[in-house]
Amino acid sequence: MKVLVPVKRVIDYNVKARVKADGSGVDLANVKMSMNPFDEIAVEEAIRLKEKGAVEEIVVVSIGVKQAQETLRTALAMGADRAILVVAADDVHTDIEPLAVAKILAKVVEEEAPKMVILGKQAIDNDMNATGQMLAALLGWGQATFASEVVVEGEAAKVTREVDGGLQTIEVKLPAIVTTDLRLNEPRYASLPNIMKAKKKPLEEKTADDYGVDVTPRLSVVKTEEPQGRSAGIKVGSVDELVAKLKEAGVV
Amino acid sequence: MGSAEALGKDAAAHQKLKMLRERLESDIVTADADIVARYSTDWHGDVTSSALAVLRPRATEEVAQAVRACAELGIGIVPQGGRTGLALGAIPDAPETQVVLSLERMNRIRSLDPADFTAVVEAGMVLEAFKEEVAAQGLFFPLALGAQGSCQLGGNVSTNAGGVNVLRYGMTRELVLGLEVVLPDGRVLDGLSRLRKDNRGLDLKQLFIGAEGTLGIVTAVSVKLMPAPEKVATALLALDSLEDVIELYRRARQQCCDLMSAFEFMPPLAFALAKEGIPDLALPLEPGHEAYALVEISGSGFVDTDVLMERFLELSMGDGLVRDGVVAQSQAQARSIWLVREGMNEGQARRGKHLRTDLSVPLSRLADFVTEAENSIADSLPGAICVSYGHVGDGNVHLNVLPVPDATEPVDDQICRAKAVLNEVLDRYDGSISAEHGLGRLKAMDFGARVPAVQRDLLEAIKRAIDPNLTMNPRCQIVLN
Repeated sequence: MKVLVPVKRVIDYNVKARVKADGSGVDLANVKMSMNPFDEIAVEEAIRLKEKGAVEEIVVVSIGVKQAQETLRTALAMGADRAILVVAADDVHTDIEPLAVAKILAKVVEEEAPKMVILGKQAIDNDMNATGQMLAALLGWGQATFASEVVVEGEAAKVTREVDGGLQTIEVKLPAIVTTDLRLNEPRYASLPNIMKAKKKPLEEKTADDYGVDVTPRLSVVKTEEPQGRSAGIKVGSVDELVAKLKEAGVV
Repeated sequence: MGSAEALGKDAAAHQKLKMLRERLESDIVTADADIVARYSTDWHGDVTSSALAVLRPRATEEVAQAVRACAELGIGIVPQGGRTGLALGAIPDAPETQVVLSLERMNRIRSLDPADFTAVVEAGMVLEAFKEEVAAQGLFFPLALGAQGSCQLGGNVSTNAGGVNVLRYGMTRELVLGLEVVLPDGRVLDGLSRLRKDNRGLDLKQLFIGAEGTLGIVTAVSVKLMPAPEKVATALLALDSLEDVIELYRRARQQCCDLMSAFEFMPPLAFALAKEGIPDLALPLEPGHEAYALVEISGSGFVDTDVLMERFLELSMGDGLVRDGVVAQSQAQARSIWLVREGMNEGQARRGKHLRTDLSVPLSRLADFVTEAENSIADSLPGAICVSYGHVGDGNVHLNVLPVPDATEPVDDQICRAKAVLNEVLDRYDGSISAEHGLGRLKAMDFGARVPAVQRDLLEAIKRAIDPNLTMNPRCQIVLN
């Protein structure tokens, strides 16, 4: 079967994000960008399914600025077979919202006819946690979100989900959407020979217009602020003083 | 020593301590046994000593007072930073007559000037803490070494520390613009210059850089800062031999536009040691190769370091020089690659006491030297394990020897023999017994046996001119009577 893996180019999670001076968002100029870590886990899972013989072809797709092709090359170097880049923005600061992404992905699914879409449960930049669910709704497919284990058995997938109370195992009929959680796997490194091979793998370039999807933002950012720094603590001289201070603060 | 004599010595020490306390503020001096013990050993714990007391001044004037008091009483001073040294330069060797003077309470940044690309920082500030403060201003202090979470800037200056970024930015010496030093008589040499060009005669600060506290106590340092590298490409590569690693380095120098910031080599055992040091480390590469290289290219502005790295590696992969490798795709992966290098040290430490060395030879002779030295060790200590790694570009190899386990010959004797064998080979290669760690007390005798007479005369003259009573870090670097 064929698997589609959408990947997003986001600010590297080790970078200390800085808010732009005008408060309109996070400053991304000259900042290290990498594949969204949850998407990296999705790529790794697709490769593992392929290595087990459950998958024949892995197609990765990214929607955003042209530089997202670097992210796609990373996925190809890890082991994906081919890539589709959907250019939908000129400026790295333009975030394509989940609904528009899901609509474009639905069109890609129509063309590619994969049996499964595996994607990160959320992107670490806007933390929406929505694209997978929206895509499932648009396609009318089953969804298995927050996966920590995926087993393909014939025409169904058995997926263990990380839920509030612990782990829940469900079975979904294929085709289906799977969104990945942190403990599903540990992504591999892109080896040098595979980085070289990835340069020759096909990367098709499209635009949002090709799919007839309007990507105009529906949300507007009112304000972006850095978290408040922790205020300095105080030293108390005795237990009595501690209790008095806690009472003063209204916590005991 | 008879018990009466021991008692007499105790009494003399007690008297000195009492007089020291009378001269200094009470919270600066401590003789509490637990605290003194903590300041009398290094991180590796190979040697434990003791001291009359530990002095912890908070300001330059308090350091000067302490130095004057010690000078009056004839007490030796062992200046101390983060106790991450590898040459016993900051550990007392005469507990009855020496104090440790720790700079740890002097840990402030006095000024940080982004327009000048300089900062003035006190000697006791932890290197990593300083680097973080600098990074918050969008700047970069390039000194980088495994101990950076504990070592202090004063120690870095006093040992002229090296580390992994020397290739691009030079040793600590090249990062220092000025120093504030308390001299052995208690005077303060105020030389916290921020000038990058200054030819007014002899450059006195150079005397104190790398002096390991034998000429005075560095209390503050004015350093150069750099623009922060916004783009970093990190690769871990597998090759067939150290010769091949050196050939790769030669190519990297030519093909990477001087943007290379690190080029490290590691032996076949690196991965196993890294795993022993950091058990849950995911190895980036399959083990089983003869040599590994860690290459980092960094830059800021409109350079694409990823493209540079890939083009460079494409060529050397194409003709088979590089056998396998990984290029970090995120900072997390870059961090893990560096953890292999750092975990190796941790792994060696866990194998117990061993010979640590810090040697340099001309780069062109590095591969031959390592081969010959390892063969000599194999001949004279069959079963001992050589772990050779280091900074290729600097011709600096840490050729460590893990003793034969469960041998009848004691570990200390094996280490001593291994060192003699290595030094003999090193002398034939015109190498240095201390590339970046310093001489301390560990290598003072070996140095004394090798240093040419004229050089020794000058070193002694300088020492006696600045520290006539020989109270500053006695028997460190040079042994005089």
